Amino acid sequence: MLQYTIRRLIGMIPIIFLISVVVFTLAKLMPGDALSGKIDPLNSDPEYIEEMREKMGLNDPIPVQYVRWMSGVVQGDFGDSFIHKRPVMELIGDRLPNTIILGLSALVITYLLAFLMGRYSGRFAYSIGDYLISAFNYLALAIPSFVAALVAIYVFAINLGWVPASGSIGSGVEAGTLEYYLSKAKHTVLPAIVLGAMATAAYTQFLRNDMIESSRKDYVRTARAKGTKESAIYNKHILRNSIIPIVTLLGFDIANLFGGAIITETIFTYPGIGYLFVESVHARDYSVMMAITMMLTILTLIGNLVADLLYGLVDPRIRLS
Amino acid sequence: MKKSALWLLSLLLVMSVFLAACSGGGEKASTDKEPKDDGKASGEAQEGGTVTFGYTQPFKGVLSYAYYEGEDDVNALKFMHEGIFNTSEELTTVPGLADWEMSEDNTKLTIKFKEGIKWHDGEELTVEDLEYAWYLIADPTYEGARFANVEMIKGAQEYKDGKADKIEGIKIIDDYTIEVTVKSPTVNLIDNIWSYPEPKHYYGDISSKELPDSDQIRKNPIGIGPFKVKNIVPGEMIEFERFDDYWQGKPKLDGIVYKIIDGSLTQGLVQNGEIDVIEAPKDQWETIKALDNVNPQEVDALSYSYIAFDWGHYDTKKGVVVSDNKKFQNKNLRHAMAHAIDRQAFIDGFANGLGKPLNTPFPSVSWAKIDESEINAYEFDQEKAKKLLDEAGYVDKDGDGFREDPEGKPFTINFDAMAGAETSEARAQFILQSWQEVGLNAKLNGGSLKDFNLFYDTIEADDPSVETFMGAWGLASDPDPAGIWLSTDKWNMWRWYSEESDALIKKGVTFPEDPSKDVKEHRQEIYNEWQKLVNEELPVIFFEQRVDAWAVNKRVGGVKLYADGVMPNEVYNWHIVE
Repeated sequence: MLQYTIRRLIGMIPIIFLISVVVFTLAKLMPGDALSGKIDPLNSDPEYIEEMREKMGLNDPIPVQYVRWMSGVVQGDFGDSFIHKRPVMELIGDRLPNTIILGLSALVITYLLAFLMGRYSGRFAYSIGDYLISAFNYLALAIPSFVAALVAIYVFAINLGWVPASGSIGSGVEAGTLEYYLSKAKHTVLPAIVLGAMATAAYTQFLRNDMIESSRKDYVRTARAKGTKESAIYNKHILRNSIIPIVTLLGFDIANLFGGAIITETIFTYPGIGYLFVESVHARDYSVMMAITMMLTILTLIGNLVADLLYGLVDPRIRLS
Repeated sequence: MKKSALWLLSLLLVMSVFLAACSGGGEKASTDKEPKDDGKASGEAQEGGTVTFGYTQPFKGVLSYAYYEGEDDVNALKFMHEGIFNTSEELTTVPGLADWEMSEDNTKLTIKFKEGIKWHDGEELTVEDLEYAWYLIADPTYEGARFANVEMIKGAQEYKDGKADKIEGIKIIDDYTIEVTVKSPTVNLIDNIWSYPEPKHYYGDISSKELPDSDQIRKNPIGIGPFKVKNIVPGEMIEFERFDDYWQGKPKLDGIVYKIIDGSLTQGLVQNGEIDVIEAPKDQWETIKALDNVNPQEVDALSYSYIAFDWGHYDTKKGVVVSDNKKFQNKNLRHAMAHAIDRQAFIDGFANGLGKPLNTPFPSVSWAKIDESEINAYEFDQEKAKKLLDEAGYVDKDGDGFREDPEGKPFTINFDAMAGAETSEARAQFILQSWQEVGLNAKLNGGSLKDFNLFYDTIEADDPSVETFMGAWGLASDPDPAGIWLSTDKWNMWRWYSEESDALIKKGVTFPEDPSKDVKEHRQEIYNEWQKLVNEELPVIFFEQRVDAWAVNKRVGGVKLYADGVMPNEVYNWHIVE
């Protein structure tokens, strides 16, 4: 297992390298740079733009720029954000807690809902309830998240006034007080529900199908033959087996957790990684954009590895070698 | 990257459809929910209360005038800090907390501060703080874009280049008086010189390069304005509280909250009172304007859009534009193309009427704006456009419905415009159709709109496919057209070369030969001549001056918006009305 992990980790290095080349090239292929948004006779002039391009090395050949960027990245330095005037790592560090709070809450909601719905659907397969659940799931999958977000805001924040419409914290609260945490929770709940409840389809169907399949297995027939109660069969025997594939999905969720939700965060003005990413793409703030992409790349690779390892852990039939 | 761009585009498209559906419902909700209040700010002014100012882009948090870059940060700065001079409604510079005097030969400027003005930490404001700001900007490591506002001081360039360890032209006379010697006399010195002091005692010895990332600017910034920063939630919200020792008197509000929201929620948040003051997105203006709790304000903005003809290219070696493109040299053709477009219909249709046709590149509020009766208004007149084209020899010879050029060759016009807003495509089509209706074969260059970056990249590179393009410029409060209009300017995007125009522009910033003549009057005469010239020559079709729409909640009084938005020296007057 340890050997396997190390082998996988080493295997990641060329992949990361290749992705970094792709990310960098794609970023540089976009027309414009952080300074092209500065075309404005009121606030700057062409000489200043030219001078800054030279200073930031944007006029150098692309391979030179790549090597300079990469040598920083290996040392953990992603450079400075031109737009924000601060080191990229600090900027991401600032936004990360928000994204993790939102991501975790959404994940909990997704798993909770998917577990409940999947269990019901699996047990009462092809019933009206099952069809209703599938209908909900596919509808949720089909509705774009910004539509869901806007509807949720109009209904719950603006018309009903239950929760605030945007931001991650209310005004006039002091950090560290109970009020502060309540305010934080109040601001997170709506985006988390929008994010979490709309993503249940895959998990629910996974669980449902696995339960249906398991219910036809020999050990279930044995249990039934022995007169075990139906609820015990489902809750004890089938559910335990069927949860295995769901658990392994956790690995894949790691990248999602840190990557933030670009659209939901933007609409809720929730200052997380996703919001920062959109902002950076718009402003052509390469250093931030590339840092986030690289971070997600590495997290996705690690997530895949974790998923594989978890698989081996929870399911002894699978040998990792 | 491509994917996320696509995503955003589709997001915008669907959102617009959705919003259109949504706003109808929202309006209805407001009529039966909100109590009717039709007295416009009729109640008594109250002490205390908090006002929320909204904005739709996240702020970066560079809270210093010398370093900030975008409107997102300056919105917040206006509540906490202010310059030493004010701007009048006619866009001239007037004395504020400091007065000034020019020497006889216009080379020495003496600035005199009022006494007893306090920074938020209780220290007194002195001229050293202004001198310090100049030094920060002229510092060799300074990375902002403000050097042009300090460059005119004698010795600033040498200091920036590291050839001198002091700026020669600055002389402190006492704590409240400072004397500046300029390189050469200019008429608009007072409008251009940097006038925002920075707290020298507070920044300590942080270098000019590190300042923008320092806690003194990002976490606990101070100023001399009516409100001081209490709490900053990065990118999301800034809370301000009253500064009791403000120099114009104690502000009436307890505090101001600067809050970032998503633009698509503006109408809802204004309606339910979460946002009190905000510049409304133009596409939602129709419904926001009609809300019961809103005092709508429409303000002429300092920006305009234009449709430029491509005249040639920029000769980088010589640093001058060369008007070598023959296509649009015929003046009748340019005039006809202007007459063919119904600008008012365009504004009404796409911007809820928030705009005004304009015919010279000066803002309508400027003192230097020429009287409309003296210039050609290029009113919408298809018959006139057709007649002009006939006269110029652009007639349809092969009967395909489109005119050929005077030599009988097919004549097509490429048009470029920026993508981004949901109506961009429709706007471009409107203009193409206007030209097609008078028989000009106009089409979108490359068949599609370009995003902001690609648009300017293509135009700046003088791509040969570019023939006409629709862009926009901001307008400075000083009318000097240099920077865009001189033949040596790189941002003379349409590459129009005119010695006559150059001469007038240069003359516009000189002092009158007869020293008894009023400088403003002298400049006005020159600028009138220049405006007549560009209006007649029409190197670009001046399209529309924008109008900004502001929603102000009726519970807030004393709020007046200007072309620049909020006026920092008036914020202390904001109050809650009963």
